[in-house]
Formats: sequence, structure tokens, C-alpha cells
Amino acid sequence: MRPLDWIVMFGWLAFIVSIGLWRGRGSGTTRKYMLAGKTMPWYAMGLSIIATQASAITFISTTGQAYVDGMRFVQFYFGLPIAMVILSATAVPIFHRANVYTAYEYLEKRFDAKTRALVSAIFLIQRGLAAGLALYAPAVALSVILGWPDRVTTVIMGVLVMLYTSWGGIKAVTWADVYQMALITAALVLAFGMAVYLLPHNVSFGDALSLAGVMGRLDAVTTKFDLNDRYNIWSGLIGGAFLALAYFGCDQSQVQRYLTGRSIAQSRLSLLFTAVAKIPMQFFILFIGAMVFVFFVFEKPPLLFHPVERANIAAHTGYSTVQQSYDAAFERRREAAEQFLAARHSGNATSPAADRYRDAQRDLDAAHTAAERLVSRDFNDTNFIFLSFVTRYLPAGVVGLIIAVIFSAAMSSTSGEINSLATVSVIDIYRRHFQPDASDRHYVMASRVATILWGCFAVGFANFGRDFGALIEAVNMVGSLFYGGLLGVFVLAFFCRRVGGNGAFYGVLAGEAAIFAANRFTHIGFLWYNVIGCVVVVAVGQAISASRQREPAPATK
Amino acid sequence: MTEAEGRDEQMPDERPPFLGTWPRVYAAVLAWVAVLIFLFWMFARAFAG
Repeated sequence: MRPLDWIVMFGWLAFIVSIGLWRGRGSGTTRKYMLAGKTMPWYAMGLSIIATQASAITFISTTGQAYVDGMRFVQFYFGLPIAMVILSATAVPIFHRANVYTAYEYLEKRFDAKTRALVSAIFLIQRGLAAGLALYAPAVALSVILGWPDRVTTVIMGVLVMLYTSWGGIKAVTWADVYQMALITAALVLAFGMAVYLLPHNVSFGDALSLAGVMGRLDAVTTKFDLNDRYNIWSGLIGGAFLALAYFGCDQSQVQRYLTGRSIAQSRLSLLFTAVAKIPMQFFILFIGAMVFVFFVFEKPPLLFHPVERANIAAHTGYSTVQQSYDAAFERRREAAEQFLAARHSGNATSPAADRYRDAQRDLDAAHTAAERLVSRDFNDTNFIFLSFVTRYLPAGVVGLIIAVIFSAAMSSTSGEINSLATVSVIDIYRRHFQPDASDRHYVMASRVATILWGCFAVGFANFGRDFGALIEAVNMVGSLFYGGLLGVFVLAFFCRRVGGNGAFYGVLAGEAAIFAANRFTHIGFLWYNVIGCVVVVAVGQAISASRQREPAPATK
Repeated sequence: MTEAEGRDEQMPDERPPFLGTWPRVYAAVLAWVAVLIFLFWMFARAFAG
């Protein structure tokens, strides 16, 4: 980091905190603090929804996934627009007309208090864990650049987020997200432009696409159906749709965002905007990773991207052998790539150079894997690929901008998460069970205290982030363990009018048991947990209600 | 929390600003996804070598 990078990074952080504080002023009532007085336009809600979902993990880990495995991860988002359409048609008008602060408040109107309490508790556990992971990602970033302990970074990040979120509530969170999305978009375009610009002068953009494509780095659609494969079109469309239904329809961190809309139409438009923009955005982020791969075809990548492990590996027995095989494989790959391009330019697309290029890549991957095993059995280098590219090759100012983006992404996710955690804690737990008759001012103060407490929890949990592998999968994994149950109970609420409180409550418990059993005893891809959990909740809920013919029908709200 | 602040007016279901009806907007969004998937598939095939 050079002085200009520091100025850009700290300037941006100061700007975002100031925007949050300024935009969040006047949030002195619960309605304004938790729902922004229901005044938000669709574009602010839509950008905020995308910003909350696109955590720092998205930039750090997703680009690395494209580098090592191609762009198949984009399929994870194929079901998202389907979910958005379903939610726009169902959940948005139901939640708006129910006059609720949280999605779980609606469950008591539809079922009973115990179902609301159970689902609120599941949300608090799941989202609390995810908030910690979202904070950990920028700690990884700064540990790479500065060698600072990641604990220091998580504390700084946490304090900044707590500052404007506790002061201005959802309004501060939403408007800060809008500005952060603007920066994220600009920086993504810049990072992509730099990755292409830094290619050798004799390598055109078309050449880069061929070099990435031949190696499978542009593969974005896998049509083969395989329950054990995490990313294919079927798991994306079906499992991804269920996950998105649960995330955007049952997770308060997202529901609260579109509850701030000034009308049903504005809230619908915010979700549909997300549906249209999310897949191209994710594709573009992965595409950056593919271009970084091509860049490193000509510029030798380090044996390990993680700077600390890279420094340590020289002390290990066997290092010299691994490094020599790595160097030789890189040279073979570079020469094969040049031969492949020469053949391509002469119109010979099926040149044997393509096979030599692939063979050299396999040797390079084998040497890299051997290096990972030398330093640690469970070591995962993927999260450091993009950061290594940024810090080693991008010019002064741009590095600061990219690091500011990673901070921004983490802050937008974390602020939305701790804001929603505080809202559920106050509305669904504190006000419902402990202090039902306090003043409005009291609940606003309780929300501010809860925001700070959840922020502290997230900072504390972030210190466990280092125990996870590819971070984005860890976050989605945590979500998938709980989302199926949440989705199932809302499906019962919206579509199964005969199911009552007992059916919903025990259905959720059965659904969660099924998900944890699938996780413990099978190798089924985690995206399918959402489907399994939802189906079990609905089936058990229906069965219990059918067996209790005398259970009173729920009141229509 | 005051009663006035805790309750909304009944929210009317407004028409979308384009395409006339919400089902048409939904259909357009789903068509967009189908087009994207097809383009991604074509894109990978075009450069697969």
C-alpha cells in the first residue's frame, strides 16, 4: 500500500460513515428506525439488497473460484430471479399488508407465539454466524497487505459499522449501501480493465478468451444432473431458487429492506431489479477471475498466494523439488499457450498445442497442490488469488480503491445483518416476551443497544473465520443448514391455510432434523438442503394438521 | 409504539411502470434469465477450443 492507496481507502471509509450518519438522522421512532418510515424508492432498496448480499467474500473468494475452477459458480444464482418473481407475487403484498416490522411477526399472526419464537431463534443463530464470517473477509484482506493481526481489522470494521448503523437504523444502512454499490461497480469495471490491460501486448482480448476457454475457465453452464455436484444448472435453478426464496423471503436482513418501500409496487420493483442485475454482476466478477487466470499464464504466479504461507514454505523439506517442478510447469504452460495462440492465429484451432497447454496446467496444479500440502493439510489458497493480483500488479490509488471496495462490501453486508438482528431481537423477543408496553423511545434505544451487542458478537465470531476453507461456501453452507426450515414454515403460512401452529412448529423441527441428518450422513450438495428442509417442513406440517382434525383453523389476516 | 405509527394504511396494488401488468413483468424477468443462460452456454462453447 502506497500513500495514495491509504488516502483513497481511509477517505472512502470516512465518507461512508459520514453518509450513514447524515442520512440516518431523524430516525427517532421505531417506524423510522426499523422501516425508514416506509419512504424508500425502489432503486435504493434494490441496490441495498444487492450490496447486502454481495459481501466482501464475494470479491475475495469468487474471483479465486473462477481462477481455479471456471465460472460454474454463476449457476448458483440461476434460481434467484425465479425466487424474486415468486416473492414479488406473494410475500411482498402479504408482508406489507400485515403491517409488520419483521417477517417472524407475521408468523404469530398466522400461527402462534411459539412458532414465531422458534423461527426468530433460528434466524438469530444463523444470521449471527453469517455476520461474523462477513466481517472476517476484510480481515483477510488487511492481513495480506499489512501483516496486521486480523483481530485488529475486525474490530476497526465492526466499530465503524456499529457507529452509523446504531445511529441511523435501516435508513442509514440503505443509503450507505447505495453509495457502496456505486463504488463496487466502478471498481469492478476498473479491475477488469486492468486485468485485460496488463496482458502482454501481443495477446488480444479474443486470445485471452481462447486461453481461458480452452482451460475450461469460461465454463458457466453444466447440464449434467448430479446431486453430489455443488454447481450445475439443475442445482442452480432448483436448489438456488429455494435458497433465494428462503434468503429473500424469510431472512429479516432482506425482508426488512423491502418493507421500507413506500408502496407494494416499489418493493416489487426493488426485487425485480435485483433479479435482473444479479446474474450479470456475478458473471462479471467471475469473468475478472478468469482474466486474472490468463494474466498469470504469462506472468509467473507465486507458488502460494497466501503471503505468510509463501514465506514459510521455504523452511519445509521438499520445498526445492516442488518449486522446481512448479517453475518448469509454468514455463511449459507459457510456451504451450504461445504456441496455441500462434496456431489459433493461423486458423488451426485443433492444434496439439492446446493439449500441451492443458497438460502443463495439470502439472502446475499438481505442483501447487503439493505446495499446499507441504505447509498445511487443510490449507486453501483460493481466497488469496485476487488480493495477490491486486496488491502486486495494480497501480497506486487503484489498490486503495479495490481494498476500499472489499471494506465497503463487508460493511454493507454486516450493517444490514446487525440491523436486522437487532430488529428481531427487539421486536420478536424483547418487546414480545419481556417488555411489551414500553414507550417508542425505549424501543429505539433498545434497538441501538442491540445493534451494538450484535456488532460485538459478530466481531468476536469473526475470529473463528480462519477455520473455514473457501469463505463463500462457508457462508452459503451456514445459510443452507437453516434456510430450508425457514422457507418451509413460510410456505405453510402462505399456501397451506389448514395448517395451524402445532403443524408449523413441529414441521420446522422435523425439517431442521432432516437437514442436519443430510449434512451428517450423506454427500448431497448443500444447495439441496433447502429443498429437503422445505419439503419435510411442509409434509410434516400437513400431516400433523391432518391428524389433528380438531385443531382450530388459523385466523385469516 | 403509538397506534398511528404501528399501523399502515391498506396498501393498494399499483400497476407496474412498464409492460402494463405484473404478470407481464414477471414473464420478462424469466425470459431474461433464459436468455442469459443460453448466452453463457454459447459463450463457453465459442471459446472451448
